[in-house]
Amino acid sequence: MALSDIIRDNINSLNYFLPELLLTGLVLLMIIADLLLKKERSPWMSIIALIGSGVVLFAIINQYELGSRSIFNNMLAVDEFSIFFKLLFLATTILVIFLSIASVELSGRSVGEYFTLLMILTLGLFLMASATHMITIFIAIELVSIISFALVTYLKTRRRSSEAGLKYAIYGAFSSGLMLYGISILYGLTGTLNIYEIGEVLAGRDTNSLALLISVLLIMAGFGYKIASVPFHFWSPDVYEGAPTPITAFLSIGPKAAGFAVIIRFFNVALSNYDGVAEQWLALSNINWPQIIAVIAAATMTLGNLVAIAQDNVKRLLAYSSIAHAGYALLGVVVLSSQGVYATLFYLVVYYFMNLGAFFVVIIFQDIIGSEKIDDFKGLASRAPIPAIAMGVFLFSLTGLPPTAGFIGKFYLFAALIKAGPEFYWLAIVGLLNSVVALYYYARILKAMFFDKISEGVSPEPLKISPYYVTLLAVLGIPTILVGLYWAPLANLASHSVHFLPTF
Amino acid sequence: MITNAILILLLPLFAFVVQIFIGKRLPRQGDWLPTGAIICSFLLALPIFFDALSNYEAGHVVVQQSWEWLRFGNLEITFGIYVDNLTSIMLIVVTLISSLVHIYSIGYMQGDERYSRYFAYLCLFSFAMLGLVLVDNFFGIYCFWELVGLGSYLLIGFWFEKKSASDASKKAFITNRVGDVGMFAGIMIIFSTLGVFGFTDVFTKIADGGLSGTMLTVTGILIFFGAIGKSAQFPLHVWLPDAMEGPTPVSALIHAATMVAAGVYMVGRTFVIYTEDALLFIAIIGTITAFMAATIAIVQKDIKRVLAYSTISQLGYMMVGLGTGGYTAGLFHLTTHAFFKALLFLGSGSVIHAVHSQDMDDMGGLRKKMPITFWTFLIGTLALSGVPPFSGFWSKDAILASALEFGMNHSAYMWIFVAMLLSAGITAFYMFRLIFMTFTGQAKDQKKFDHAHESPFTMTLPLVVLAVLSVGTIWWGWIEHLLAKPELATYATVAVGAVEHSAEHGNAHLAHTIALFSSIAVAGSGILLAAVVYHWKKISAEAWGSKLKPVYNLLWNKYYFDEMYEATVIRATLWKSRIFAAFDVKIIDGFVNGIATVTSKFASLQGAIDRVGVDGMVNGVARVVGVFSNRLRTIQTGKIQTYILMALFAVLILFVLQQF
Repeated sequence: MALSDIIRDNINSLNYFLPELLLTGLVLLMIIADLLLKKERSPWMSIIALIGSGVVLFAIINQYELGSRSIFNNMLAVDEFSIFFKLLFLATTILVIFLSIASVELSGRSVGEYFTLLMILTLGLFLMASATHMITIFIAIELVSIISFALVTYLKTRRRSSEAGLKYAIYGAFSSGLMLYGISILYGLTGTLNIYEIGEVLAGRDTNSLALLISVLLIMAGFGYKIASVPFHFWSPDVYEGAPTPITAFLSIGPKAAGFAVIIRFFNVALSNYDGVAEQWLALSNINWPQIIAVIAAATMTLGNLVAIAQDNVKRLLAYSSIAHAGYALLGVVVLSSQGVYATLFYLVVYYFMNLGAFFVVIIFQDIIGSEKIDDFKGLASRAPIPAIAMGVFLFSLTGLPPTAGFIGKFYLFAALIKAGPEFYWLAIVGLLNSVVALYYYARILKAMFFDKISEGVSPEPLKISPYYVTLLAVLGIPTILVGLYWAPLANLASHSVHFLPTF
Repeated sequence: MITNAILILLLPLFAFVVQIFIGKRLPRQGDWLPTGAIICSFLLALPIFFDALSNYEAGHVVVQQSWEWLRFGNLEITFGIYVDNLTSIMLIVVTLISSLVHIYSIGYMQGDERYSRYFAYLCLFSFAMLGLVLVDNFFGIYCFWELVGLGSYLLIGFWFEKKSASDASKKAFITNRVGDVGMFAGIMIIFSTLGVFGFTDVFTKIADGGLSGTMLTVTGILIFFGAIGKSAQFPLHVWLPDAMEGPTPVSALIHAATMVAAGVYMVGRTFVIYTEDALLFIAIIGTITAFMAATIAIVQKDIKRVLAYSTISQLGYMMVGLGTGGYTAGLFHLTTHAFFKALLFLGSGSVIHAVHSQDMDDMGGLRKKMPITFWTFLIGTLALSGVPPFSGFWSKDAILASALEFGMNHSAYMWIFVAMLLSAGITAFYMFRLIFMTFTGQAKDQKKFDHAHESPFTMTLPLVVLAVLSVGTIWWGWIEHLLAKPELATYATVAVGAVEHSAEHGNAHLAHTIALFSSIAVAGSGILLAAVVYHWKKISAEAWGSKLKPVYNLLWNKYYFDEMYEATVIRATLWKSRIFAAFDVKIIDGFVNGIATVTSKFASLQGAIDRVGVDGMVNGVARVVGVFSNRLRTIQTGKIQTYILMALFAVLILFVLQQF
């Protein structure tokens, strides 16, 4: 390709890159604003972040009009799939901004850079969702990781926070190293880094399957680190527990969903052939990667749920629970059908509501009673009925009981799995057994809140819950139930978003 | 119009949600909120009704819109709103009577300790009932059907401290379930053979022959089972008299005007799926119900129970009307009955409010003390007895004509008409017995009589409104157009039904004339007999009662239905459930507990691995490393190294696994 073509393509791409450009502009604006405002706890930074997010939101929605295209010389893709994820990320960011405003943990610290970092993190997530080149994938993942390290350690004075950040960084460096190694092997095998070209090359000729396997396993280390799947999950409980709770909530959804975006795009494009008629992908013959993912999914669900049972800290318990949920969401990836991808997308949205909600209730109680221990949650239902009932809704949904959104999400996942044939029945059984186990530890929290007596020495006075909290709870709780009853619009959005650029 | 329809449905739901959660904290305990909501619904229903009225050709649809509700693969289920002429009149009936009952309840329930919750329940019921008439598919009607049952359960057992009330609510709920199982099975047959739930889709597919013959008959009868339960038809009528344990306005709304009429409405809504045989089945069940309940009502002493049996009997009439092909007649009677029966119940509530007793032996001579209640009650009684020009006369006459016409065409079923005519006479008799025992003559309990007084304005106003609506003339000229029969000819299977042949028009005219005069005659003789026995006391009721002891006992014990069910169904169920309970406790629980034990053991094992293994290894590594190197730096690095080591090890395992 001539240089002028490359430049022309880059210039033409700018129009499609508008949300990311706006986000970059917003970040620069916020850095300057922070310098100028220089006032501790100024609400202006959060307001700028929210207004900016609103503008970006319009730019993203506008992308539906522009249509699908591969931009910057096939480095990034703009398609329904990436737009879907961008919307999800932006929704996460906006909600986390609201949670952060309310959080007592973060008060007393300058929030200017906090919100700025949050917006850069969002930019990284946007890139992850649309990357179609191993280098952009890597850079996007690193961007997300490095900003996350900074945000996790944001409470510098708290020992657990710094410790968590350090562990996260080391672990991140380790898995990035593995992934880079895997990418380099893949480059050696195929001579290209563009995932579409990789797919073509691998489908076209017989590659050394041992080398390919090693490469895929190592790349999976990088992806698995982002979604916190076994065996790359070790960082997550420590980090989730140590980080400020709004950041924990963000990490449990944003980067995790972005990890899924990368996994689905990479495996379905580079390592499978698409059969448009059957709406089904076929894994390349020389590597049985669905089986690898199936094993990872089963191990992730089982370990996450079983270890969660033994926890007595609610935040740590939710950390293990979110490991388990990554396992559930992987079920949709395993089957390689558009129905499976659609189920995963649907589940991620549902997970957004119920998991953010559960973390938010923890934030509320942490701020008021200053503890995250299950024992200290005893009798909270009588002292603060609204958050307790909301917690019930979120936990029922996480368990997957009707009539909540979680039930519908799981239903679609298992339906896709069963439909894929007897090959994965064992996985469905593992998943169902896991749901039963999950009920046990979710119910423990509910039991403490609703049935246990208030511990001695604790005053039974009703707790004051501000209307701001109640509003946020409603924003998360109502969709959790509503989607459980009427999910057609969301299902349509998800099935519409399965279409990612099939070729360039 | 569509906005109207949606708001009609959602306003009561909204009021319910607010009322149940914060009703107690609102001013006046929030009674104004559900009342206001339902009155708004009524006002919103008016434009729909007038739209239907101004275009009343058969098959006119005011609003039809549906939304995709859920989709699995190719299966798509929609949920929507369907308003045609029938719905529009039902909307008026439900919202108007519900509004009046809400207003009436403000007086009647004053001072009750669960005052605010009462209004919440009432509003929930109204929501469910409106949903039932608005929804456009079988699945939806089933959902709302059950919700209506729930509302009824909550309200019958509203004073649940009374054992009789809580028993009655359970009885009502369980008895209804029996019928609902049949209805559910019927809906499932429709869905599994036709693959759709929507009324219009189902009707079209049946017209195309998608479901026909015996199977269609069976389906129709199964769906009618739901109506047997909800509309208290023989043999599932036993719950309705007991349901009178609920507050009286509830009886008026639910157990007279709306919920029990839901069965009739459903048969009307799905009328075109019933084959000739299914309709005959409906007619026979209706006849048995009408006659049996009317005879029981003669001997009852409790004022509300008389009305309850009369309701059962009148519902039987409606079923006969529908079953003999008199679609218009049956639904017309539903409408008129809703108003005059609500009037009678609210009137009886007014009486009960005054004398604090339901037993007619405690009453008598109340006419002077409660003039508004008496006169309105009398209008309701005349309407129910079928005296012209009150509304009940016209609708009942239409049913009798329909039954007679059916009998003329099928002489083997002439007995249906005869039984109906007889029941009409009995109805007039027991209603005037009630009037004479309650309002005229001497006070039987002087203390209660002295205490009695006319009810407050909020209670008498609904009585007056309903009394006006019980005058027949206001129904003239439009109702038979609005409730015109659906065009059966387009539905191949039903078109062969004998009821529709044009050659029978001659009979129709003759039948109407005969029915008109005979019904006036029997009503008149019923009233006369009641006057002879209970007013002039020329014949002693006690003497005749003891002379006909076996018959009296049979009626007094309501044909021993309760005893029969107790001996058979209930005992067998209890026996069976005891066996299952034992099985549950010994085997299932054992199994579940076993699994729970294993799981929790496993979990603590995992926890132990986490603690002893991971943490222990971490600490162990830390300690080991600490021995060999700098003690100060061990804690952090030790842990993360272990993590990384374990991750690498796991990748290796995955690699090895793939090699096999």
